[in-house]
Amino acid sequence: MTDAQLADLSRVLYSPVTLALYTAAAIALLAALSRTVGGEVARGGALRRLGRVLAAAGIAAHVAHEVVRGLAQDRLPLGNMFEVTSLMALVGVAGGLWYLRTRRRPELEGFVLLGGTLLLGLALLMYAEPGPLMPILTTWWRTFHVSLLVGGMGVFAAGFLFTALYLLRVRIDGLDADAGEHRGTSPADATVPEGGPVDGGGAAVAVRSAPDVAALRRRIPAGRLAAGVFLGASTVSWVWAVALEPLSTGLARMLTVNVALVAAALLARWFAPHLPDAEVLDGIAHRTVAFGFVLWTVGTIAGAMWAEQSWGRFWGWDPKETGAFLTWVAYAGYLHGRATRGFRGERAAWIGVGAFVTLMATYLVANYVIVGLHSYAGL
Amino acid sequence: MSRPDSAAPPVMDPPVRRAAPPPGPRPPHRVVLDAVAMAWRTLTRMRTALWLLFGLALQSAVATVVPQAPNVPGTVRAWLAGEEGPGAGVSGVLDALGAFDVYGSTIFLAFLLLLFLSLTACLVPRIRGWWRLVRRSQPPLLRAAAPDDVRAGVLVGGDRDAALAAAREVLSDRILGVARWRVRTAPDQVAAETGLWSREGGSLAFHLSFYALLAAIVLGQLTSFEGQRGVVEGEPGFVDAAVSYWTYDPGRWFPEDAHAGWRLDLASFEVDWIRDPLAPGAGQPTVFRSEVDVTRPDGTVERAVVEGNRPLVVDGRKIHQLDWGYAPRVVVRQGGEVVHDGWVPTLAGTGVFSGAVKAPAAEPDVGLELYLYPYAPDGPDGPRLTGAPWAEAPVLLAWQWRGDLQLGATQQTITELDVSRLDLEGAAWLRPGDVTAFGDVEVEFVELRRWVGFQVSRRPQVPGLLAASALLTLGLVTALYAYRRRIWVLAEPAPGGPDGTPRTLLTVVGRAFQRPDAAAEEHARLVDELARRTGGTRT
Ligand code: HEM
Repeated sequence: MTDAQLADLSRVLYSPVTLALYTAAAIALLAALSRTVGGEVARGGALRRLGRVLAAAGIAAHVAHEVVRGLAQDRLPLGNMFEVTSLMALVGVAGGLWYLRTRRRPELEGFVLLGGTLLLGLALLMYAEPGPLMPILTTWWRTFHVSLLVGGMGVFAAGFLFTALYLLRVRIDGLDADAGEHRGTSPADATVPEGGPVDGGGAAVAVRSAPDVAALRRRIPAGRLAAGVFLGASTVSWVWAVALEPLSTGLARMLTVNVALVAAALLARWFAPHLPDAEVLDGIAHRTVAFGFVLWTVGTIAGAMWAEQSWGRFWGWDPKETGAFLTWVAYAGYLHGRATRGFRGERAAWIGVGAFVTLMATYLVANYVIVGLHSYAGL
Repeated sequence: MSRPDSAAPPVMDPPVRRAAPPPGPRPPHRVVLDAVAMAWRTLTRMRTALWLLFGLALQSAVATVVPQAPNVPGTVRAWLAGEEGPGAGVSGVLDALGAFDVYGSTIFLAFLLLLFLSLTACLVPRIRGWWRLVRRSQPPLLRAAAPDDVRAGVLVGGDRDAALAAAREVLSDRILGVARWRVRTAPDQVAAETGLWSREGGSLAFHLSFYALLAAIVLGQLTSFEGQRGVVEGEPGFVDAAVSYWTYDPGRWFPEDAHAGWRLDLASFEVDWIRDPLAPGAGQPTVFRSEVDVTRPDGTVERAVVEGNRPLVVDGRKIHQLDWGYAPRVVVRQGGEVVHDGWVPTLAGTGVFSGAVKAPAAEPDVGLELYLYPYAPDGPDGPRLTGAPWAEAPVLLAWQWRGDLQLGATQQTITELDVSRLDLEGAAWLRPGDVTAFGDVEVEFVELRRWVGFQVSRRPQVPGLLAASALLTLGLVTALYAYRRRIWVLAEPAPGGPDGTPRTLLTVVGRAFQRPDAAAEEHARLVDELARRTGGTRT
């Protein structure tokens, strides 16, 4: 096949194939959640099996896309915003599903695919045809540095998802915001409707019957959630409004992103009563972020080593370096928050949300807004 | 009992016990001392560290959005002049707040200092406590299991002592000669603990690495050196000496006579692009490569190549290729007398390379603002500016200014002209070989070559930074992945076997302080191992 044909194939594999498979898997896995059998979530139901098959097929198509794209341009697909965001989604979905397997939390699979679908769509907004790379960028250092950071971004994305689900779960538990901490006995016990938790190990949350689910769901006010997500998303999506010409295109892009996120949040709210205990979610989110933090730390150090090799200075506070540092500090704040009295629980989770916003905003700002200033030093 | 209670998990934010203040007015020195003690206590709180981190983050956020003078001085000047950004008024306020040089600002340094103070205040007691743990900690015996503990039973043949010996055996594996579990034996149980000091030790190593980083950075600032210099193809290069560099940036402790005196000439330079406008990545550079000759003080000459990711190392100095541009040779004559003759380095902008000629020998001063368009073939109305960077049809646009160049009076780089005291005389398009006249001044564009900007640097701190980074990473991974947990194996006599031999019921209790899932898996493995070794059955 010629490079042009490979390029076409890689695009088709990405969209519609991967996109459709992820979407279908998300729908099937989430729908499987609401099928309850005898008061317990049906864990091995046909829908869940279907969802898993679709998810596996989606991951396979996604990997195939990356390989074909790599062949089409004779280099690793790690060179522009589309490629980075796409790989971020792949790491988030594959890594997230793998981690949920080790933690035996299949209830969360559908949410991971929902997040993956969103990221995939986001990458599509920044689609770029396959092409070569500047010679300064083709080195082993770059591969090492960028793959660690992109891996870190994917893991952070999964961590953000779990953190957000934790915050939804806390609302369902009806905690008042100041209580914050979850230690020892779970307050969820007090609020799960009569019949209580069946499963002491907490593998599946017991949900009795449909009316209870609806009552739980109502504890998250839909209007407030939508407004909050819209405003929260705007802290990142303003970048498009500023960067794209003309303004109407930028605003349309910003609105698209915001509305997609609001829709996803409302969908997550719908299935939120089936989430595991808040404490469990908090733990999963923390372990995920901790792993991402290790990747980010090593990736940033590798970047400094590459800069020393390539530009003759290991750190120069250029926008990307500043963004990496800022993200690192924000996530260090999250890890500290979880170990600090008065910050544990919800407050730490909000720091985690802020850290992910920081990551995405600096990623977009450093690539879109400050492009013109990013030069290879000067005399 | 004065021994620290090793059963308690390390406390991040210990409650501060304060003696009740003495009644009555306090002498002034007490007030000061109390204030200092109070400040110290505040600093040692993790909360304070968190707010300080937040402050640092906020300042970095400002630095991502506001251009930074050390990186992009031109943009900052444009902001201050109100030509770009939010306007001169806002920029003035930003400037007063130090927002154009965040990382050099007093506020940033103050936050950094406070953070390091806070770090110190918090690490000193942690290190002391950690040292005590390493030396003396003993797992406590179990009196009553807690609700969150995991437990499993194994029924084994043999008496209690034999069963407990088997349990000790299972818990005795070593890593690099160090026992993994700290084991303590009592008549009726074996208590074991691990991860107690590796986790805390990792966290300490991680935090201590910041001091190593800081030390390496500060020492590096003092002893490093960086200089930049442009060299035109085929023309004499430069000698490594303080006076040769266009920009010269030595650390305070870097002696000027530490230069080695080798000489560098640019033999040839290669640069190319994807020229097909329809090809993917059109316009991107594909090659960027200098061939240089290095002449040592003893006269030996060595040919070497400098490329994007391949700096040349000479005498411990790294030589990087930073920049390149076209260098037209421009001769300026006034009344037949040459007042300027030289290669003018130009810097790449979008589709055009710009530079300046300063001829103070003319009377009054002559300044030329030069714009070189590398590929501008002739069109119906003069040169057609394509924006392409390859020099196939170069044309030079020269603006001539007369008056006072203010050399030495104002800050101007080699490629900039300060026109504030100059008057515009006229402009002309010049092809190589063309001559044009402005009044009594004649300007000739003789020939076009290219120049390369080299950076020469010495950074003795790099090995130290690498070591500190390794400590940081190892400490971080240990702090995040080591986890503290305890295992108790309780033994009680069980009813004898079918043939009347004694039997013992072993109860394995596990308690995790972090990562309960991982600990539960390990607990299950240990129980299996115990059952396998003793030939017992799980109950
Ligand atoms: C220079 C700024 C600092 C940074 C970037 C930083 C970073 C970190 C990170 C990433 C962790 C997570 C690793 C772990 O869990 O052990 C951590 C843990 C910790 N930090 Fe810091 N730290 C800083 C300053 C401080 C200060 C000033 C204190 C004391 C007031 C402190 C106290 C702690 C403690 C007690 C832990 C253990 C938390 C835990 O075990 O989860 N840190 N720090």
